[in-house]
Amino acid sequence: MAELKMLPFDAGNIPGPKMGRVTAPKIIGKMIKRAKKPLLICGSNIEEHGSIDKAIEIGKKGIPIAASGNAIVAFRNKGYMDNVKYVLLNDLANCLRDPEWKGLDGKGNYDTVIFIGSLYYLTSGILASLKNFVPHIKALAIDPYYQPNADMTFGDIWRKKDEYLAMLDEVIGEL
Amino acid sequence: MVKLKPGIFDIEDLENVKIEIKEIMGEKMPEEEWAPMGPTPKPKIPDLRYWDRILLKRYPPFYAPQCDTCILCTMGKCDLTGNKRGACGISLEAMQGRIVLLACLAGCSAHAAHGRHMLHDIEHMKGELDKIPIDFGTEINVEAPLTRLITGIKPKTVADLKEVFSYIEENIVQLGDALHTGQEGSALDFESKAYQMGMLDSLGKEAADIAQIAAFNFPIGPDRPLLDVGMGTLDTNKAVILVIGHNAPPATNICDYIQDHNLEDEVDIGGVCCTALDSSRYSTIVKLASSLGRQLRVIRAGLVDCIVVDEQCIRADIIEQAQKVGTPVIFANDKKMHNLEIRDGDDPDEIVKDLVSGNVPGVVLLDPLNVGEVAVKVAQQIKPIRRKKGWILSDEEFKKQVEACTNCGNCTIACPNGIRIGDGHKLAAEGDSSLLASQFDICIGCGRCEQVCPQNIPIVSTMIKAAWPLIQEEKGKIRQARGPIFDTEIRTVGAPLVLGTIPGIIAPIGCGNYPNGTKDVYTIAKEFGDRGYIVCLTGCMLIDTGLYKDEDGKTLFETHPDVFDKGGIINVGSCVSNAHIHDAAIKVANIFAQRNIRGNYAEIADYILNRVGACGVAWGAMSQKAASIAAGFNRLGVPAVVGPHSIKYRRSFLGRKDKEEDWYVYDARNGERVYVGPVPEHLLVVAETIEECIPLTAKLCMRAADTPAGRSIKLTHYIDLNQKYLGDYPDDWHLFVRSEADLPIAKRTELLQKLEAEQGWKIDWKSKKIVEGPKVYYNPSFDPTNIKDLIRTKKE
Ligand code: SF4
Ligand code: SF4
Ligand code: SF4
Repeated sequence: MAELKMLPFDAGNIPGPKMGRVTAPKIIGKMIKRAKKPLLICGSNIEEHGSIDKAIEIGKKGIPIAASGNAIVAFRNKGYMDNVKYVLLNDLANCLRDPEWKGLDGKGNYDTVIFIGSLYYLTSGILASLKNFVPHIKALAIDPYYQPNADMTFGDIWRKKDEYLAMLDEVIGEL
Repeated sequence: MVKLKPGIFDIEDLENVKIEIKEIMGEKMPEEEWAPMGPTPKPKIPDLRYWDRILLKRYPPFYAPQCDTCILCTMGKCDLTGNKRGACGISLEAMQGRIVLLACLAGCSAHAAHGRHMLHDIEHMKGELDKIPIDFGTEINVEAPLTRLITGIKPKTVADLKEVFSYIEENIVQLGDALHTGQEGSALDFESKAYQMGMLDSLGKEAADIAQIAAFNFPIGPDRPLLDVGMGTLDTNKAVILVIGHNAPPATNICDYIQDHNLEDEVDIGGVCCTALDSSRYSTIVKLASSLGRQLRVIRAGLVDCIVVDEQCIRADIIEQAQKVGTPVIFANDKKMHNLEIRDGDDPDEIVKDLVSGNVPGVVLLDPLNVGEVAVKVAQQIKPIRRKKGWILSDEEFKKQVEACTNCGNCTIACPNGIRIGDGHKLAAEGDSSLLASQFDICIGCGRCEQVCPQNIPIVSTMIKAAWPLIQEEKGKIRQARGPIFDTEIRTVGAPLVLGTIPGIIAPIGCGNYPNGTKDVYTIAKEFGDRGYIVCLTGCMLIDTGLYKDEDGKTLFETHPDVFDKGGIINVGSCVSNAHIHDAAIKVANIFAQRNIRGNYAEIADYILNRVGACGVAWGAMSQKAASIAAGFNRLGVPAVVGPHSIKYRRSFLGRKDKEEDWYVYDARNGERVYVGPVPEHLLVVAETIEECIPLTAKLCMRAADTPAGRSIKLTHYIDLNQKYLGDYPDDWHLFVRSEADLPIAKRTELLQKLEAEQGWKIDWKSKKIVEGPKVYYNPSFDPTNIKDLIRTKKE
């Protein structure tokens, strides 16, 4: 079903010759593990599909979390705020493109960003910006959708919540 | 006609001679010297580039390409990914600027062409333009602030607007030229050109609106009557006419026909989008059926017996959609003729016969004076035929359709908002339509879902059926549009606005492409109105705001004053009317601060950027017009927050609060360079949810010149709204504190403690004063400017 998996969630969202690679969860997990400075970016849909619990598990593995939209409220409601910061996604992406940016922790920019709980079309635009103008950052998408502008992405799996959560577990297993 | 030879004539003894001087050939009549001319009357592409560069340095464009290729010429398709340039040498970044300029070109042209078209219609309908004065009464002396500011012209009659449109048209062509292959190659210069286009757009809007106000005697000013809004207000006991679009003259002719023939009890007229707003300024018999987002649904619900469309934002498949419910369509504007016959010369009764019998699905009538009779007669004659059929799905048909759904998800993937329609259908098949009904409001009525359903389910219709009880009850209120803000109102609010005690002007404007339904726009308007901001609404956001009521059954237009003052929630008008929001900011500079506005764009934009806490919110921006409107606001120093779909415009303008060097301005008194903090932090920024949008909008109302009293109020709202919607203090509030006087008294101790603990600032607790910490400059007579030439006494 590899072909089906490359189906963007917005059917018309075909950006051009450089399309995101559908990648196995284990490999994505390894990429995150290998990253020098990863950032998990959680969008306003973080409560859909039960992604928030998985995001917290990832956070607990020491990966800092940027919560955009109103995702910060979801984390607060879950009582998990250890390494979570509010960001405005457009603003964050603008900072990410500057290699000299000091990061959310004041210690420098990131080398890998991972999107989860995204508002699909908004994140797709942000990923297009990262893909084209921010070569120093690898962008991964672990939502149950194919994100054509990510470097590596899950495939189209939104109809199968359990399989999706199992994929997230595989990612977490590598961290 | 007698031709006179040059020389001196004695006309003393002549009787019954009428002399008309249309134009003085050769030398133009000198304009009355009403104010000294500023440096940039009728600016061309390079003239305000220096101001654009000041803005673009602080707020550089952030690009999010929607497509990584280009095929604008036959050397393409060019792959522009990975820093590759096209065959013409253009970069992907510049290409984004080019597309933005293209969007602004379409948007600006729409407004300007609409205005020019209207001048022709007005001349035809009302007579000579130089006989129609632009005189808005004693409350308004500055009748056309943008026109004065940009062109240096003070228009006295509608005829004077011809020169304004000529200026706009020439410059649109010059800017359009820059889009050609092998022209502009710099993203920043494309943006400067987009700003120029946005400025022209604002001018075109103003000229269009003052022309229609003057020609059709639209009422102006506060305390306008309440009008009906919502799909449920259309009275299908009568014959129903629906007007859609932006160019109101044909709709005014329908109103005339109904009223001249006393048909109010037999014919109902409703409208979608700006034609509804503008024709309801002409006659309050017009109901505001819906914003753009419901266009397809108003049609497909079968409520309408005759549709009249003019221009902009009307569905391109309107004939096919109208045919599904047996409704004929009259096309009343040459921008949109759909391969139909132009029938202006024909006998109206013949046209009516053709439309009622279904011989033709629609006709073109380009003379607005021909529209009223045909539309009314068609609606009346077709009504009994159409009423024989039911257009809402029957219970059995609905059941059959929802049961046919396999929940395959094709529709969801096609849907811009990713609505889980299959889940809605599944539940409905089990007898519970509530989910499907709730999806009705999140749906933007695009119709994409229907085209991909393998079961051929008419999804728009199943949703209408599920939501039908709600639709019938959709009966809200808005005020009739008020148009320009009075000079007297500006005199009252000028000081509180610049001092900050009225924390800002919020302008929810634009289209209905919302991420999560119409309720959000009500929430935004209510939040700011309740807090004493002045909320100026236009366009589709305005219409949707009127749909909601509080516990007492009152809409915001009933609970908030209809004045341009603290806490006012006002209907400024249609999209072209939102020029009056620019105008209000310009008038603050002109009337309150006594700045000369004539041909003086950059100085006034600089004034607004540093002093007038205004912020646009375009939560559902969709059109190219919205792109040019935003560019026009931004160039004038007014920031805007846009909804998440607006990432597809490809470009935002973002500041970097962490880069201190970006936030220095001059003190015009002595030329000193001072740090003012990130105010306003962004010029055009995409927010993801309203919980994010609302505090962000409040933040973007802060300005360098805020007084301590004003800053403390603005800061209070910013912190408060963050706590309300995001659950905590914002992490950057300290950046806006210049001294303890900026802290609200009620919270001062708590805030000082936080500054000490979190930012390491030094506090003298005896006097409760900040001893060390803030970097931001403030001085009571501070005169901030970003323009070096405005420094009065240069420092040695
Ligand atoms: S305009 Fe330039 S980038 Fe576009 S197709 Fe032509 S050569 Fe390629
Ligand atoms: S596309 Fe048709 S069958 Fe498939 S889920 Fe949507 S409505 Fe149901
Ligand atoms: S019509 Fe409504 S439900 Fe269908 S695709 Fe468009 S927005 Fe989605």
